[in-house]
Amino acid sequence: MLRYTAVRTVWIIVILVTILSMNFVILQSAPEYPPPTPDDRDMYYDRQVADGYFTVRVERDPEIVRALSENDESVYVRNPRNFYQRNPRQGPVEFYRIYEPVPIATQYVRWVRNIVVDWNWGLSTRVAPNTPVFEVLMSRIPITMQLNLLALFFYIPIGFALGIVAALRKDGLIDNFVTLFVMIFISIPSFVVMLFLVLIFGYQLEWLPTQFPTADAVGMIRFTGLVLPVLGLAFQPIASLTRVTRAELTEVLTSEFLLLARTKGLTRPQSIVRHAMRNSMVPLVPGIIFSFVGLLSGSVIIETIYGIPGTGRVFIRAMALNNYDYNLILGTTAFYTIIGLFAVLLVDLSYGIVDPRIRMGAKK
Amino acid sequence: MRLYDDVKKEYDSLNKAEFEPIDKDKKIYDKKFDTKPIGYFKDAMIRFSKNRTNVVATIILLILVMLAIFVPILTTKNYTQQQTQLAHLPPRVPILSRFGIMDGSANVVAQTINPDNYNEEFDVFYPDNYFPEFIIWETVENYFDNCSRIAEICVGGEVVLRTQRSTDTQMSITARSTFMVSTTDGISVNVDVSDIIGSNTKLDVILVSGNEDYVIGTIDRPGMHSFNPFDNPDLPDTAWSTYRIKLVMHAEATANRVVLNSVSVTDASLDEPVVLNEGFSLANFQVSSSGLINRQNAQIMRANFKYMAYESALREARDTLSNDDYYELMEQYADECKWDPETGLGGDPDPNATSRHARIFPPECPIIRTTGRSSMLPDPRNPGEFVYDYFVVIDYQRALGFETTPYFFFGTTNAGHDLFALTWVALRTSLLIGLVVAVINITVGIIYGSISGYYGGKVDLLMERFSEIISRIPWLVLLSIFYALIGPGALTLILILIVSGWIGVASVTRTQFYRYKGREYVLASRTLGAKDSRLIFRHILPNGIGTIITASVLMIPGVIFTEAALSYLGFGIGHGQSFRLFGLIELSGVSIGVLLADGRNEMIDKPYLTLFPAIIISILMITFNMFGNALRDAFNPSLRGSE
Repeated sequence: MLRYTAVRTVWIIVILVTILSMNFVILQSAPEYPPPTPDDRDMYYDRQVADGYFTVRVERDPEIVRALSENDESVYVRNPRNFYQRNPRQGPVEFYRIYEPVPIATQYVRWVRNIVVDWNWGLSTRVAPNTPVFEVLMSRIPITMQLNLLALFFYIPIGFALGIVAALRKDGLIDNFVTLFVMIFISIPSFVVMLFLVLIFGYQLEWLPTQFPTADAVGMIRFTGLVLPVLGLAFQPIASLTRVTRAELTEVLTSEFLLLARTKGLTRPQSIVRHAMRNSMVPLVPGIIFSFVGLLSGSVIIETIYGIPGTGRVFIRAMALNNYDYNLILGTTAFYTIIGLFAVLLVDLSYGIVDPRIRMGAKK
Repeated sequence: MRLYDDVKKEYDSLNKAEFEPIDKDKKIYDKKFDTKPIGYFKDAMIRFSKNRTNVVATIILLILVMLAIFVPILTTKNYTQQQTQLAHLPPRVPILSRFGIMDGSANVVAQTINPDNYNEEFDVFYPDNYFPEFIIWETVENYFDNCSRIAEICVGGEVVLRTQRSTDTQMSITARSTFMVSTTDGISVNVDVSDIIGSNTKLDVILVSGNEDYVIGTIDRPGMHSFNPFDNPDLPDTAWSTYRIKLVMHAEATANRVVLNSVSVTDASLDEPVVLNEGFSLANFQVSSSGLINRQNAQIMRANFKYMAYESALREARDTLSNDDYYELMEQYADECKWDPETGLGGDPDPNATSRHARIFPPECPIIRTTGRSSMLPDPRNPGEFVYDYFVVIDYQRALGFETTPYFFFGTTNAGHDLFALTWVALRTSLLIGLVVAVINITVGIIYGSISGYYGGKVDLLMERFSEIISRIPWLVLLSIFYALIGPGALTLILILIVSGWIGVASVTRTQFYRYKGREYVLASRTLGAKDSRLIFRHILPNGIGTIITASVLMIPGVIFTEAALSYLGFGIGHGQSFRLFGLIELSGVSIGVLLADGRNEMIDKPYLTLFPAIIISILMITFNMFGNALRDAFNPSLRGSE
């Protein structure tokens, strides 16, 4: 078991490093979008030099300085990856500071060192110029987590209850209703469900707000503002949990050990609660853990629809066309990747805990 | 138990003459079966058609696909060109419209009224940009809404003064207009303060005369305060001089505020105040650079009503047509509009004749009459040509080519496209992208899975690890990589969908290979010297293909979903794009996701823009999933009932 855990953990870290490295290298090779205002830009490049991604040199040669200030391409052609800082900014030019990127392999090594040693994910360039990416994310993560955890705790009991009821009353009226509900909500994309919810409860009936309330909202609206996104997130997981619970429980209910339990004198409720439920839980636990990852990535679009200032929204903003904020994109995707892979690890390890019969990696 | 001996007695007792042997001299061969054998696919077909719900779902799915193919071809309505005249029409459906449902009347909500637009009969105000003759007056409702804009249309409320920066200690507001008094007796300046926030916050009331400020009073608590300006001995007490009111707030922090209700000047001998500043006129005071002025609790009147949108769009109205549009119309309706020398009706026979361009047209012509023509200016783009406008009265219904009021089942979009046709165009795009991506994924997946499953061992292990890494890449990472490198568009969309899309098919294929590769018939073929490729493609793959295909069919709705989501977010395709797939199929840039994104900002008064595409994609997804599940059950009876 220990060996298995260690192997899985190492493997997950390998995947994580591969994905993040690939993302870093590819994004670094795309055209750069530094902060828009000159002050922010100067600050940003100085910080890039401090972090080791750029080198800086001072160009005082009057001929080149003149060519740079007049953009005379016959003497000096600007490299689009470099940053040319005019000094002083107003008045006659005295010298240029030229910031040049180091080779991408070196950048990569320094990036890894910055993260591992200093936990430095770089600065945001466009969404919140010159704010550390980690800070931007930390201000957004609570709201996303709050929303997703609420959805998780909302959908699990409902999904279980519906699945159990349907399995116990198999082929009855309730079962047929539940099956129909499952078929509908497992198929409709969550953002379409969200649009329907906003359309009906927000605009037509006017029961709930049509946009997520701002941070300074007070009173009931803080609560009512959460209802629609939680519902929008939860419908699909409810449907899939109901489906799996029903299938598993139906199978266990017809198994022989349950018959044995009944013959030994247990009542039907006793046998169901003590034997059937516990056994049907085994395949459900990994599903629930994975569903949290699904919720999280699904919440990107829900956040966009409902104007929720979470990590998904900040990602979409960082991805605005020709206004990319690469460091923030890297940080956000790292957040989602880490959570996703952690869930995989958790699932792998949880098999052994939920069902002692399964001993992963044990010798046969 | 009967023994032979028992039977023998019975047998011996039978009359032998009653029996004769048959087919004694015939040779008997194997007979052909009269019934046809039930093959793998036929068996699946029978199982498939047994479940009636699934058959219904499949039929609905087929209808959707048919509509997506044929509606764009057969429709007479426009879905490609922009027609602003037809924009924003609500749904109108025959039969239903007789019962008042989807009858083409638009719900206009929360429109700010213009105080000049007043209907006396129904005692209501209505907004600009709507023609009174098409407003359904019984439905007009006026109501007040909160408003914090500094605009004349907002009435009442209070005005809040505060300093702008933390270093500011005072701010001032000055009236934009001056006032004059004829006497110095009985004049009072009244300031109604509803609240003062913060200690040591004071308000000086000042009269400005010329360039001099004269303080006439100081306020430090809420309430109505009246000051006699001529208590200040410095104030020039000549009648007929002009004064301007100025208020200076002293505040220590930006959180300190003064809330004003009104500022007025009264004369004891007059009933009406000389000057009354409240609401907008108070908020409109000039503010010093160190201060900010806000309004609160002001109200604005809005109107909700139903509007006959079709009649309004297809009305007879004055319009200005460019010469190109005019002659295009004249060409289109050459017979109806041509000049008839007998009646003297119709278009000018000579376009260069500057006289006689005010004319009346025959009743069949969409143009009712022209009232004039602008002067001719040289065309900057075509030297030698001229541009000019005709002023016409036009019947839009006929000009747009409608005999009767048209039915737009789903309404029209902002650009005047028929949403009904556009929805099917969008569905066609979504389905085609789904199909193309599915074909690519299935091909890649089958090849990958075959190799991995057939060779097994180290190859399998490595390939499995590789596909695990790929499948663990979150879609956000893929999106960011392709979007930053390629930008939005169909290519990005398809790449995102195929990078990890094939993994499902590959794993199903791999399982099938593990199942069949050890069978005797494969061994037999191998013994006979068959190559690997022959074993894979002739012997193993055909056996597993049913399972593989059903797994692949279930992939299409997933692809459509992802496409819709990405396009909705603006990362997929978009308007104005048209692209070819492998140079064969031309697609427009409209998909269901794009339509939903278009309707996003207009959910309040045009819910149909979101509703209909959303319903269609929901039905598509539901039926596609049911069809896929039914197919899977049919091909794999052991899976029955596990859903």
